[in-house]
Amino acid sequence: MDISLLAFAHILVAAAVCWLNFIVIDIFFRLPEAGGVVGATAIGKHIEAKGGALHGGYMMGNIVSSPDASAGTLLASCGVFIAGIPGGLLAALLVYIGNRICHDPGYAGTTGCISATFIVYGFTFLGFSPAEFIAGMVLAIATIQGISHPRASRLLSRLWEVRRG
Amino acid sequence: MTPQEAALAVCGIIAVYAAVRLAMEQDTLRKLPFLNVLSFAITGVIALILPHPLGIVAAAAYFVGSTLESNAIASTYVGGLDRRE
Repeated sequence: MDISLLAFAHILVAAAVCWLNFIVIDIFFRLPEAGGVVGATAIGKHIEAKGGALHGGYMMGNIVSSPDASAGTLLASCGVFIAGIPGGLLAALLVYIGNRICHDPGYAGTTGCISATFIVYGFTFLGFSPAEFIAGMVLAIATIQGISHPRASRLLSRLWEVRRG
Repeated sequence: MTPQEAALAVCGIIAVYAAVRLAMEQDTLRKLPFLNVLSFAITGVIALILPHPLGIVAAAAYFVGSTLESNAIASTYVGGLDRRE
């Protein structure tokens, strides 16, 4: 296979892996439950007003308002790309500081960053480049925040119902 | 095309796409998720073109800064203070 075609195929696989990593961790840490700051709550309500679902909107508002597991996954990929596992762990420290700056009491970002560090490092043994995970994470966040807010929020709400039981 | 160049191309295309969607959206609060995608893409570009240990710090500082700005814009726009404890 052409080398660039292989890189794009790797980016699609990386996007799926990153998507699973951040969605599972964000939902585990109850991001869709409520807006963490008034701004996140307002974003959730505006998304609902356009035909979305409230809890998915809250999660999207929370992703906007503080570095969550998606940001952790992105910065872990950047860290591993530049400096391997120590780089990913440095990124986790920076995400932890970022969470505190953004008044976020949770640990979704830090957890997502640490798990992504080891996932990305593991995938390098399968011939993936950490650079492909950077692009994969950008693609993954675009599917949630950048294509259709009503559809994305409804999907996240449905996953939240599963988590809540 | 190396994996790094392919990744850079994907990040660049998504950044432009997010910027267009951002400009087209009328509602200020609904603009912010598109701005979030744009920040992700720019953070990726920073790390990809700056492969130096301080590049991690630069990318994280840019990302956390842009998140904090979105947080401040959204919270100020709805007229409330941040009351999270």
